[in-house]
Amino acid sequence: MNFDLSEEHRLIQTTVREFAAKVIQPVAAELDHAPRFPAEVIARAAELGLLGLVVPEAYGGAGLDGLAYVVAQEELARASAGVQTIITVNNSLVCDPILRFGREEQKRFYLPRLARGEWLGCYCLTEPEAGSDAMALRTRAEWRDGTWVLNGQKIFVTNGVEARVCIVYARTEAIPGARGLSAFIVEKTHPGIRVGRVEKKLGITCSSTAEIVLDECRVPAENLLGERGQGAAVALSTLDGGRIGIAAQALGIARACLEESASYAQQRVQFGRPIKAFQAVQWALADMATRIEAARLLTYRAAWLRDRGERCAAEAAMAKLVASETAMWAAHRAVQLFGGYGYIQEYPVERYFRDAKITEIYEGTSEIQRLVISRQLLGWH
Amino acid sequence: MGEVLIVATALDGPLARTSLELLAAARALGPGAEADAVLVGHGPGFAGAAETLRRHGAAAVFRCDHPALTAGQTDAVLAAVEQVLRVQQPRVLLVSADTIGRELAPRLAYRLGAALLTECVEVSAVEGGGIVARRQIYGGRALATLAAGNGPVVISVKPHAFEVPEPAAVAGKVEDVAVDIDPAALPARVREVVREQAEVGLEEAPVVVGGGRGLGSVEGFTMLTQLASLLGGAVGASRPPTDAGWVPVSWQIGQTGKTIRPALYIAVGISGATQHVAGVTGSRTIVAINRDPEAPIFSVAHLGIVGDYREVIPAIINKVKEAQGG
Amino acid sequence: MEIIVCLKQVVDPELPARDFAIDPATLRQIREGRPLVISTYDENALEAALQLKDQSGAKVTALTIGPGAAVGDAVRLALAMGADEAVVVDEPRAPELLGVEKAALLECAIRRIGHVDLVLLGCESADWVERVVGPLLAEALGAACVTFVSRIAAADGQLLVRRTADDGFHHLEVRPPAVLTVTSDEAIRPRLPKVKDIMGARRKLVQTWARADLDAPGGRGARAVEVRDVSVPARTARCEFLPGEPAEQAAALVQRLRDLKLL
Repeated sequence: MNFDLSEEHRLIQTTVREFAAKVIQPVAAELDHAPRFPAEVIARAAELGLLGLVVPEAYGGAGLDGLAYVVAQEELARASAGVQTIITVNNSLVCDPILRFGREEQKRFYLPRLARGEWLGCYCLTEPEAGSDAMALRTRAEWRDGTWVLNGQKIFVTNGVEARVCIVYARTEAIPGARGLSAFIVEKTHPGIRVGRVEKKLGITCSSTAEIVLDECRVPAENLLGERGQGAAVALSTLDGGRIGIAAQALGIARACLEESASYAQQRVQFGRPIKAFQAVQWALADMATRIEAARLLTYRAAWLRDRGERCAAEAAMAKLVASETAMWAAHRAVQLFGGYGYIQEYPVERYFRDAKITEIYEGTSEIQRLVISRQLLGWH
Repeated sequence: MGEVLIVATALDGPLARTSLELLAAARALGPGAEADAVLVGHGPGFAGAAETLRRHGAAAVFRCDHPALTAGQTDAVLAAVEQVLRVQQPRVLLVSADTIGRELAPRLAYRLGAALLTECVEVSAVEGGGIVARRQIYGGRALATLAAGNGPVVISVKPHAFEVPEPAAVAGKVEDVAVDIDPAALPARVREVVREQAEVGLEEAPVVVGGGRGLGSVEGFTMLTQLASLLGGAVGASRPPTDAGWVPVSWQIGQTGKTIRPALYIAVGISGATQHVAGVTGSRTIVAINRDPEAPIFSVAHLGIVGDYREVIPAIINKVKEAQGG
Repeated sequence: MEIIVCLKQVVDPELPARDFAIDPATLRQIREGRPLVISTYDENALEAALQLKDQSGAKVTALTIGPGAAVGDAVRLALAMGADEAVVVDEPRAPELLGVEKAALLECAIRRIGHVDLVLLGCESADWVERVVGPLLAEALGAACVTFVSRIAAADGQLLVRRTADDGFHHLEVRPPAVLTVTSDEAIRPRLPKVKDIMGARRKLVQTWARADLDAPGGRGARAVEVRDVSVPARTARCEFLPGEPAEQAAALVQRLRDLKLL
């Protein structure tokens, strides 16, 4: 069992780390406190190839494997979870399903534009009445006069404001639940789609979270993604990759908490000593490092399984569950370690605390992850 | 035919100060060591250069005056010096490690088949005829002692590692040497010389205030200039501000820049990369001001202030004014 | 235009002081366990070469001397940044060789590579800072030489270069073939490799030659010197941090300066 990253992986890690330090880090706090879409950062990320990391070179991407992808995402999230969210959604939730389920013409048309950052993508699954129970979604797609007509309301869409390409899940069959769904590639230029409410959030504030309204939205036949009725399979496969991406995000946030806490513990002097001299602090840092390492190994393994085409739903769920809970715990610990300074915006840990929380919620709450894992263990009830 | 020959330059300006420093280096090679000089140059100031050399101890001065011998024209200087070398055949050739000298020394060593010692801060002769020199390596973290055996040796001397010697004329002469240089045939020809406003006396100033990337923009230097004036000192910079063109390259302090040894050096917004630190460790007292308590500069500073220079420097300026009775 | 960029791998010069140590047997810095990087100004030289390639379609070959097993990262980065090919001279003793010997080896490797218009390398190596390899190489190859170059442009078969001088700049016209040593400048900050180029680097040609594969140098040129000693001066300064608000820190500083008779 080789636990080493390959030489290419290491060079990717150092390159993305340097990019994050030079381009993202200097603006990370400002992007969070006075939120705006970081257009210039995303443009530079696109130049490096970060928006289409797993898209094969033939379609204009960087051709990375899933493990390299995880390594890159962790480095980005270490600097700014908000910026990384924008990038990971484009990769995992938009490029990935088109790659896996798209027809050749769809891949040739959409992937190069998404990979070079010319168009941004978003993923429209959740609805007001369909959150954890995603398969109960109600958006309809009817075949009428030679075109699909979509009606419905999608919420909590990351990149909703800036995206041109939307992966939309809708009910095409008169069958309730998962088996009635199909996936569509909808462009903002198709008639009948608009951005509705834009949410203000607790964290990852520079990434837009919006409502997408489909009101007699006419989508051409060739924009069906995958087979009719295959929508649930597209969604679930995409979520496996998405969960691994979120696990990587959580790793980045957790590592930021560890590094800032360790650095603070060296400098902060109380009772005549740097606080790293106190056992309570030492143990907190040791626990942080250990839990991060454990989460990282789970994440790497899930990525490895997915790269091999093996079933990985439970492993991806474990990785996301453990990494997100570690990030939240580490951020909580970090704020406590910083004391009063942990509560002040001049220091980054309060941002990590707010950013970490979403990792326990989106792309399947921790509760849903436990459901996925227990089903694999015990079989469906 | 002397043992030691120095290369002195007055390339469309007065005699370079570093040329006189070479006479001190020559003396370090042995109390009796007499040094001749090959003087290259042209233009105003050249007339008096040979006398200045003689006054400071050069024995024979071989003067080469040619319109091609101007600032930056290494290939012309090389041709002239080589012509003198073929006749004089000194044992030791001393060159200053300045802009021209750093190209000149290795190329001359190659052509002469001589041993090559560059960027030296100390030189001495040893029994049996060898030469020993010392130089800084690893960003100033270590000192190397190098030895060249018998045979010709070319030594380049770090500017200001030696002081200009006291005047002490010795018997000698000035000989004009006709040099044959075709400017159009030189492989590298200077088209234009751009002189920047020099930071006067950076290397001599008793107090230096240095600014780095942490200043954020060129405006930060205004504050530093104010502080430096109050303290009777000069302003310098680390590499990033000069690379970015915020300040002239002549302000740069470090391995690729000037080495300073003031009584007080204040580093503001400078991280302390070894490349920069190499140029300041000779300072008697180093004060560092930086927002990052882990910046490497603090491991060489004597006094440290962790804070934003935009608040700290004005506070220091006020306190200095008070202390000076203002 | 055929460009060769010489890259030296050194121990990261920004290594914390506590990790810096000299091996008494070799009188060189201990490399084991220390991160290795491409020498600072060599990266600028590579960037300058790549910009010439972007502007006028040159071919860029990265050339490095080092223990074969150790130089992989440097070669990979150079190819990922955009160099077309790489040549490695596998010399296990490379970390001990000084400038004069390095220049002789580079000359042999460059002659074996064949036709070259321009050789670029850093103005000084980040470790020994001898500043000799460029000019020595120029003599050995019979090429023009300018050091401390911060801008390069190709025009009408000539090279227009800007040399950084002690008091400003010199603009020169240089007739190829030329060896130019490069200093830093904002315009030639090394680029980050694109991710797809990191993967693509695998497919580029890397030739590895042993020293024995090269014709022996002619025996001309400068003679090497002996390294008698390398000492590390003890660093005793401990930084005293002045605490408090800026006003208090300033007051404390001024007081200390008065005590030291600096005010």
